[in-house]
Amino acid sequence: MIPAFTRRRFLNLVGAAGGSAAVYQMAMGLGLVPVVARADRPDLAPLRANQRRTVVILGAGISGLTSAYELGRKGYQVIILEASHRAGGRNLTLRHGDLIDEIGNPRRCEFDPDPDLYFNAGPARIPGHHTALLGYCRELGVALEPFINDNRDAWVHDQALFGGRRVRNRDYITDTRGFIAELAAKSIKPQDLEAPLTRADYEQVLAYLRQLGDLDQNFKYRGSLRAGMAVHDPSAPDVLKQPLDIHELLQSKFMNLMSFGEMDDQAAMMMQPVGGMDQVPAGFLRKVGHNLRLHAQVEAVQLRERGVRIVYHMNGTRSVIDADYCLNCIPMHLMSGIEHNFPADYAAGLSAVPRGRLFKIGFQMKERFWEREHIYGGISWTTQDIQQIWYPPHGIHRQKGVMLGAYTFGEATGEMFARLTHPQRLQLAIQQAEKLHPGYGSYVENGVSIPWVRMNNMLGCAAAWSVELRNQWYRLLQAPTGNHYIIGDQMSYLPGWQEGAMYSAFHALADIDLRERQTAPSAAA
Amino acid sequence: MSMRSTAVALLSISALPAVGAQTSFEYCTVCHGANGNGNVAIHAPKIAGIEPWYLKNQFAAFRAGWRGAHADDAPGNEMRPVAAILTDAEIERALGYVASFSPRSPAITVSGDVAHGKELYSACAACHGAAAQGNAALHAPALSGRTDWYLVTQLRNYRAGLRGANAADSNGQQMRAMAATLTDDAALNDVVAYINTLR
Ligand SMILES: Cc1cc2nc3c(=O)[nH]c(=O)nc-3n(C[C@H](O)[C@H](O)[C@H](O)COP(=O)(O)OP(=O)(O)OC[C@H]3O[C@@H](n4cnc5c(N)ncnc54)[C@H](O)[C@@H]3O)c2cc1C
Ligand code: HEC
Ligand code: HEC
Repeated sequence: MIPAFTRRRFLNLVGAAGGSAAVYQMAMGLGLVPVVARADRPDLAPLRANQRRTVVILGAGISGLTSAYELGRKGYQVIILEASHRAGGRNLTLRHGDLIDEIGNPRRCEFDPDPDLYFNAGPARIPGHHTALLGYCRELGVALEPFINDNRDAWVHDQALFGGRRVRNRDYITDTRGFIAELAAKSIKPQDLEAPLTRADYEQVLAYLRQLGDLDQNFKYRGSLRAGMAVHDPSAPDVLKQPLDIHELLQSKFMNLMSFGEMDDQAAMMMQPVGGMDQVPAGFLRKVGHNLRLHAQVEAVQLRERGVRIVYHMNGTRSVIDADYCLNCIPMHLMSGIEHNFPADYAAGLSAVPRGRLFKIGFQMKERFWEREHIYGGISWTTQDIQQIWYPPHGIHRQKGVMLGAYTFGEATGEMFARLTHPQRLQLAIQQAEKLHPGYGSYVENGVSIPWVRMNNMLGCAAAWSVELRNQWYRLLQAPTGNHYIIGDQMSYLPGWQEGAMYSAFHALADIDLRERQTAPSAAA
Repeated sequence: MSMRSTAVALLSISALPAVGAQTSFEYCTVCHGANGNGNVAIHAPKIAGIEPWYLKNQFAAFRAGWRGAHADDAPGNEMRPVAAILTDAEIERALGYVASFSPRSPAITVSGDVAHGKELYSACAACHGAAAQGNAALHAPALSGRTDWYLVTQLRNYRAGLRGANAADSNGQQMRAMAATLTDDAALNDVVAYINTLR
């Protein structure tokens, strides 16, 4: 029997009358809903020998696979229903021959068959503090290697900057810092210093500014080795580059991007799994793959007195599964079109949060021309639609490479690319990248384009929560309704990161564990 | 060393069936919801129970770019590639697939002045029928039992020239002229609120 059933049944009645917000508040009053503030990876109580619990997991996204692994290890019977032809969800690595399942536009990936020629069409990088994900990589034998996220040798391009002439990232950053440091050194007077600084700190402030901008003895910026030499010639004395025109530099929107690699979750050095990001789902599948049903499209989720009933469609037939619990990572904007008997307000929340429109292009290049430009990994930035170009940190000095030719976050740009045909997308990306790498198009052998808003069974990315939407819906949707839990990065404060997807699973698992533990002693006796 | 472990890992993932994705005529439910009963989050209307001749007309309209090609029509742009990719034979199969759906009565989400809507609807009944049951001979679909928010969107689309603006689209052009008689947004809601009473 499902734990705490009688009290929950009462709550379901409340739910019928007042919606699940009422249930949730009532349940908190009864001390029923564990308010799991932060649930790190839970250590679930193993089921006892005579105890049987079934959990149906909807969607083989990272959160679904994490849940399946944790539950399976502790004796729960798990089944994963996945609508797509593959597991992993947004965690998609494309290689030779893979299907790119864009609605209305399916195609195959034409990369050469080669372990280095792959493209991470969804997640590509892992920050050092994503300890849950890194922990699973260690445990599941997913080998990692450095991913280079920030490279001062890469390019910056902006039509507003020197008429669109590319400059090295290091030129922009060094010269702007130099000029601004000089300006600050000139302007600040000892009497301007405010608490906690005093006049006595003036010399230190100047010393800091000199260091910040690489200023000379007179606090003048005259160029810096940090911007690099005019030529790299070890047989001749150093000649510094001439500083660029500060007026021009300050016109550039790159100003807003120059600190990208300084962010906590976008550090210069991150990690990537050797051979592609889908080694993460592959690692989970080695443990739980036997519980996975592909091509299984969920059609209905019914809360029942004792658990949850799922109807799904697979190979032309409809099947029903009754389970004690349901963990659901189907994107909420798709779940809102699936039949259910959820309380009205919970149901309304499913369609309340807009979907993201991330877009990526990957190109197979016949030569790693960027290495001749001294670029080994990292990101070039442009203010054009493609926004970014990435250079693969693996396969260095091999003949060919797969590079990222566009990565856009913006709603409008994502939609613009989605509406183009695949060849038009590639053409536009090549045309724009020519501004950063003249001759770029001549290296392109083939390419992939992935508009997430058009991808089958996803139709978008992580829930685009605003503060208002969070306040209105988040707690309500995160709490279970009956024995049904929404998971996925959509149900975390870290949407757009696999770590967030894992934490959503931890939250639900901790709740189930608590419910099971609450009933364990009497049930066991 | 690491190459070797990669190869092993690759094997385990390609052991999964890599091909055999849904054929595109079965895509419908991803957007239009289970049993084609609509999904407001995708702005995809209920298509369960839709008249086969009307569905065909709309596929033709999307293919010709009469619908779904205007820059301001995001939902239409989302549907258009689906119509564009299907062959005539696949459209026939899609009709069969849509016919297998169990229609449900969609939630009522539009409110308005029903009495005023009734007055307005008297101009519509000639083509769509007094009970909004549709009229195949006039190519006018049933409006009752449909997703109401979608009806409002379409009336707006006609008025704004996102639909029915092409001279070759005679059905759409007729309807566009009718939509022009509904002068403000309140009128749209009123007439749809009345259509909601005809279920
Ligand atoms: C372009 C891009 C870049 C990203 N970059 C990074 C990064 O660098 N690092 C990082 O950690 N994260 C990154 N992310 C985020 C990461 O991909 C996600 O956080 C994570 O993969 C989401 O997992 P999830 O559990 O929420 O499930 P999802 O991946 O959302 O999976 C949902 C699953 O449900 C299935 N489904 C849908 N409908 C049905 C149905 N009716 N029946 C059954 N199944 C269904 C889908 O097929 C899918 O498999 C990126 C994402 C994108 C798109
Ligand atoms: C990518 C999402 C998507 C898929 C897949 C999809 N549709 Fe649509 N469809 C839409 C959207 C969104 C609209 C609404 C367009 C608008 O507002 O004008 C629509 C509109 C329609 C219409 C017009 C309805 C009317 O009343 O005029 C028909 C008919 C239709 N779709 C049928 C289908 C069929 C059949 C399939 C499967 C073969 C399908 N659709 C697949 C998103 C989709
Ligand atoms: C002269 C005949 C005629 C009259 C009168 C008429 N319509 Fe239509 N209507 C049509 C036709 C034909 C279509 C289908 C157009 C197409 O195939 O694109 C249509 C389509 C529609 C649609 C789109 C339905 C869908 O599924 O996308 C709506 C909504 C609609 N009509 C509402 C109205 C309303 C409200 C009125 C009255 C104000 C009205 N119509 C009057 C002929 C008419």
